[in-house]
Amino acid sequence: MSSHNESILREPLVTGKDITYAKVTDDILLPVENKPNKAWWIGFIMAALGALLWVVSVGYTFWTGIGAWGLNKTVGWAWDITDFVWWVGIGHAGTLISAVLLLFRQNWRNSINRSAEAMTIFAVICAATYVVAHMGRPWLAYWIFPLPNQFGSLWVNFNSPLVWDAFAISTYFTVSLVFWYCGLLPDIASVRDRAAGLKRRIYSILSFGWNGSVKTWQRFEIVSLILAGISTPLVLSVHTIVSMDFATSVIPGWHTTIFPPYFVAGAIFSGFAMVQTLLLVMRKVLNFENYITMFHIESMNKIIMVTGSIVGIAYLTELFIAWYSGSEYEMYAFANRIAGPYAWAYWAMMTCNVISPQLFWFKKIRTSIPISWVLSIVVNIGMWFERFVIIVTSLHRDYIPSSWAMFYPTWTDVGVFVGSIGVFFTLFLLFLRFLPGIAIAEVKLLLKSASLQQKTKLVKEGHLDPEQVAFFRDSLSKYDSVSEEDIKELETK
Amino acid sequence: MDSNKKYWKGLEELHQTPAFVSKSKGEFAEPVPVEDVLNEAGLSTKTPRRDFLKALGFGLGAVTLAACERTPVHKAVPYLIKPEEITPGIPNFYASSFKGQSVLVRTREGRPILLEANPAAVGLNCGTDASAQASVLDLYDMSKLKGPKFNGADISWDELDTHVVTALDAASAAGKQIRIISSTINSPSTLATVARFTDRYPTARLVEVDAVSYSGIIKANQRSFGKAVVPHYRFDNADVIVSVAADFLGTWLSGEEHTQQYVSNRDYKSLQNGRMSRHIQFEGGMSLTGTNADVRVAIKPSEEGPLLIALYNVITGGNLPGALSTNQKAQTALKLVAQELLQARGRAVVVAGSNDVAIQTLTNAINVALQSYGSTIDLDNPSYQYKGDDEAFAAFLAEANRGDVDVVFFLDSNPLYDYPNAGAVKEALAKIKFKLSFADREDETASESDAIAPNHNFLESWGDANPRGGYYTIVQPTINPVYNTRQAEQSLLLWAGEKTEYYTFVRNNWEQNILAGSSKSWKDVLQTGFEHKGDQPASTYNVDTASLAAVANTIATNSKALAKDIEVQLYQSVALKDGKQANNAYLQELPDPVSKVTWDNYAAINPKFAESLGLGENSLVTVEGENGYKVTLPVLMQPGQAMGTVSIAVGYGRTKAGKAGNNVGQNAYPFAKLVNGTLHFNTTAKLTKARGTYELAQTQTHHTIEGRNVIRETTFTQYKENPGHNAGRWTDKHKTYDLWDKYEQPGHKWVMAIDLNACTGCGSCIVACNIENNIPVVGRDEVRRRREMHWLRIDRYYAIEQDGKSYTKEDDIRDLDDMENVSVVHQPMMCQHCEHAPCETVCPVIATMHSSEGLNHMAYNRCFGTRYCANNCPYKVRRFNWFNYWNDSRFDNYLNNEFTQLVLNPDVVSRSRGVMEKCSMCIQRIQAGKLKAKMEKRQLRDGDIKLACSSACSANAIIFGDANDPNSEVSKALRNERVYYVLEEINVQPGIGYMTKVRNTYEA
Repeated sequence: MSSHNESILREPLVTGKDITYAKVTDDILLPVENKPNKAWWIGFIMAALGALLWVVSVGYTFWTGIGAWGLNKTVGWAWDITDFVWWVGIGHAGTLISAVLLLFRQNWRNSINRSAEAMTIFAVICAATYVVAHMGRPWLAYWIFPLPNQFGSLWVNFNSPLVWDAFAISTYFTVSLVFWYCGLLPDIASVRDRAAGLKRRIYSILSFGWNGSVKTWQRFEIVSLILAGISTPLVLSVHTIVSMDFATSVIPGWHTTIFPPYFVAGAIFSGFAMVQTLLLVMRKVLNFENYITMFHIESMNKIIMVTGSIVGIAYLTELFIAWYSGSEYEMYAFANRIAGPYAWAYWAMMTCNVISPQLFWFKKIRTSIPISWVLSIVVNIGMWFERFVIIVTSLHRDYIPSSWAMFYPTWTDVGVFVGSIGVFFTLFLLFLRFLPGIAIAEVKLLLKSASLQQKTKLVKEGHLDPEQVAFFRDSLSKYDSVSEEDIKELETK
Repeated sequence: MDSNKKYWKGLEELHQTPAFVSKSKGEFAEPVPVEDVLNEAGLSTKTPRRDFLKALGFGLGAVTLAACERTPVHKAVPYLIKPEEITPGIPNFYASSFKGQSVLVRTREGRPILLEANPAAVGLNCGTDASAQASVLDLYDMSKLKGPKFNGADISWDELDTHVVTALDAASAAGKQIRIISSTINSPSTLATVARFTDRYPTARLVEVDAVSYSGIIKANQRSFGKAVVPHYRFDNADVIVSVAADFLGTWLSGEEHTQQYVSNRDYKSLQNGRMSRHIQFEGGMSLTGTNADVRVAIKPSEEGPLLIALYNVITGGNLPGALSTNQKAQTALKLVAQELLQARGRAVVVAGSNDVAIQTLTNAINVALQSYGSTIDLDNPSYQYKGDDEAFAAFLAEANRGDVDVVFFLDSNPLYDYPNAGAVKEALAKIKFKLSFADREDETASESDAIAPNHNFLESWGDANPRGGYYTIVQPTINPVYNTRQAEQSLLLWAGEKTEYYTFVRNNWEQNILAGSSKSWKDVLQTGFEHKGDQPASTYNVDTASLAAVANTIATNSKALAKDIEVQLYQSVALKDGKQANNAYLQELPDPVSKVTWDNYAAINPKFAESLGLGENSLVTVEGENGYKVTLPVLMQPGQAMGTVSIAVGYGRTKAGKAGNNVGQNAYPFAKLVNGTLHFNTTAKLTKARGTYELAQTQTHHTIEGRNVIRETTFTQYKENPGHNAGRWTDKHKTYDLWDKYEQPGHKWVMAIDLNACTGCGSCIVACNIENNIPVVGRDEVRRRREMHWLRIDRYYAIEQDGKSYTKEDDIRDLDDMENVSVVHQPMMCQHCEHAPCETVCPVIATMHSSEGLNHMAYNRCFGTRYCANNCPYKVRRFNWFNYWNDSRFDNYLNNEFTQLVLNPDVVSRSRGVMEKCSMCIQRIQAGKLKAKMEKRQLRDGDIKLACSSACSANAIIFGDANDPNSEVSKALRNERVYYVLEEINVQPGIGYMTKVRNTYEA
């Protein structure tokens, strides 16, 4: 991430004129250093009401028992684990962006990684609540950990995927949190340096004594790389292990070897969709258009399209294998998905996850902000249905027809789910209020190489191939943060 | 230096305004509304801000202090003087009897908790029916009366006695009649008591009337043979059984006893000997018996009589008029059946379920022609289980209406609920001066009576029974009376001026009459539970065929009257029977063996017929009988139901049964009608679709097997060629690979064998399992949510037969146009105790694990309720405690009080909320059996340990034992060629072997 002259063919990652280091800091810290605006308050109140609904629903469940949900003797998991997997899946984009893209030197990640990581952490928190909430006796949740017998607990069953799950999720959460927080340190220091009074003292503590020396920066870079190295396998492992909750069972529709890669692809798919949902709003409301540019949006849409296609192929493979296996239970499970009582859920999943991302083949759609935003939500609806289809339609009609049953959610099921979305947004909005939503230090790295300002300067210097300049100019047309005049300026040469 | 500077707190103080002066005298700025709070306004008074804060502070403090208190310790107090026979933890068994069946009552620390059949008994000696199993709960029923009542007020027994004796004396002096209305009494001592009573009050007379009456059979036998009795049927002697609407395995006369007899010709032992009876059922509604028939033909109630006429004609070559002319299928079947019957002459039986004298007379003639008397029907050792006379009760009503009756007692009788014309009963009762009920609760009749003298439960009583000729059983108390009740017989004796204890009375009666000439003493009887004087030789009988033409005419008339509209068939449900035990939550939650409906009765209608009426799933229908009685019932789509008919169970719609039984379903008794002196349970009705929908609480909602090999069946012909037909172990044909280590099981290896040919699906094992293992009853709403807790269930699958093919897939069945031809199979399903149990590997905390004896254990205390095990169970037999059923007012069907909880089996913990549970193979019984053998320093013998389900099964369909003992019954059964294992191909290695269902069908 050194500042060198980048090829003019590459699209700019920071747009806007007269961007200085100071302006970057000013722009990004605007929401942190000022009173929140009306939009924030409206969003926060709605989210907080959602969180309240979550407290009520979960509280009611804890008070009366899991019977508050719509589960029954046949369907032992439904919305609870659907929501759990959905949130864990959403949590995947953060690590992918912060770790994998860092290792691959994809510097466009610099302006989106902070929010993506924050989203990951909050999504994993939401997921973790289900781990506890779905238990019949949640006050004994700590039994999942292999604590010494003196603690009063007994040893756990290392054969059980739920134990693997507990490790996977807790590791993932810890690593993501540390990674995110390390990245925050220089930015917190920036806030500290500009603040006064109590606020300064608090940020001072939070910044761990960051002094901005070369040594500090050097260590920061090294820690980032090491953590990226540690997190990269987690991107693959977490959802692989979550998928094993199902894949290692004997239930037709669960007992499937394709699950690990299919779940990981699905997780990245839904994670990017959620990042898209959040950032499209954030860049508008907080005026971050110059930092989160159309290039970012389009790149993420491309990833959504690729992972969506992988997921689609996985669906078709499942169907083929069900037929090819010749196992009547397996065949029935999939026939039941397609044409059984929950077929509407299956087709909702197919439409949202397989068909809708294919629209991103069209550049017009890929670069349209409203359509991208809508589709990003469609994708997450589809991914919720994917988990619902896997969990409920496999369970509700398994081996013995006498036990076949339907699952109908109760208000508590809905409340816990809608409420968890409220919890998520409450946390996210608080994050935007108190911490910089874009990694200031990392965006600053881009200024001298990948900004439009720098590229315009290069063009003006006039040592470039005119054809390449024309190409660059054309690529700018999709940017909503670049005006006609800016583009014309490139022509004057 | 003193400062005389004076600070003032406000301008008011400076100026010393009058308001300030008056206020400054009080301690508080505002008046404290202590008075208001303390007077009756209480908490609704206005609370000032300061008071709110104070109250908050106080409340918080008080709650904190209260929370500091330690949880109250409930101490179990040991016996100060230990009764000699009671050892805590060791059960005592007492011989007693329930409705004439000799049983052993298991008591723990002085409280009866379970009934088991007396294995030494004559007749039914293994298994009991569901109502017997559930009857222990009736003892602890909170809805019972705590003492006698007079005019609605509590009263002492002495005062009540005075009132009663005054009324009796007055009636006697005025020469008015005294009546004791009772359901059948076959207890010799009770009858002797009544005799004493009538000695004292000569105008007194006993009127026996049963809610569901068999007086048609009694009268027919009187007419045919001059013997007014119900015969004792011997299905064990029958090779061919033809039943015309008689649910003889379920609710007709003595279902469990018939089951034991019937199965002896059909179970695996009989099959191994190459023997299997053939059973043909003609019926309208789908009965438990119909589901077990080899051939079942749907006929309307109006066709029962004509069918029997046709059968008689074919068998005897006679030419009675009115033979069946409709229903081609039935006519075809009839011809085959008649040939069968003739070939099996002397080893055949025809039974009819109708209570019509004419139909029963004709049936008698057919049985005479088949030489059934002396072989399959025994008239010389008749059954005394039902002696009720419908005419006698009608006569009583007439007497009462004339004002001749001054005193009436109701003993185990509730005509205001179960007499079809309750209005007439009410009218008649209004004319009677003194009405007394012996009911244990304020039931429909008792609540309209002047006095209630609550009777003991049978577990608190002395008594006896004479269920059939020459066979006497004893009833002995197993607990002191729980409430201030008194045995009805004791009351009658007291009112008759006898001071004898009823115990002494029973004992004297036995010693002087029943045991006279016997080597047994009274003590012997208390130990063995019964006295059998030996059977009379069963002789043959002849019937006067000349009168049959008149009989046939009566049948034809009745049949025509029925055929004119939609026909209604009233029946007893297997769980609730006549409705006397309606407040028993175990029975209410026992799924109907056929429909799998709990907690309701319904209008059972053939799906195709329902379609034609515009009715669907969850519809409501109003049934209006020919007498104008109207009820609105939920519709049940019943494959196999005859077209144009609707079946409704009686025994529901109680309004004063108690907390659990009130307003469950609708009362169907009023549809019945008195025809020619007997109650007829068939009538006609109009059906109209009612507004709204109603979801029945069914434990099974998918009714077909979808072509899966979970059920394997064959025919008797194929079985004879190859006993292993359609059976077989997967491992015989496939090589399997294991991820798991094989563990040695050197000691015991507990397994089960379940004979699908023996299981009739009656469900008494379910109730037995509930009681033995303290399984909570969850109520209608929770069953609707598919959350019943039964560890053992009986899966029932329909296959629709059409054009010689059997359809088991829902999609195919949808296109069929005939839903009358149905074959049914019942499959008991519980934890299969898999060797490679999928539940065990997925539990994160090892709350479920395998034992070295092949059992899949469940450690409730370790379970924290992820439900993964239940999801991963291919048999879906695990049950989760969704709520704290023991202590949650929403589930207060019966157990949320300390008293009823006495019914719990102390050997089994009750489970908390959030914990998984499932069949443990009665681990407590296994442990007790092993311990006993150890104490006696011997090897465990096969049969030492019996499970609750297998000991409740009169068909011996569930065989439990040690697979490591090659000579155990279960090992032998599992070596049977018919054995297969359910879902064996997924290699979970289940421990429970099933035997194929064999049907003795006609070869097409």
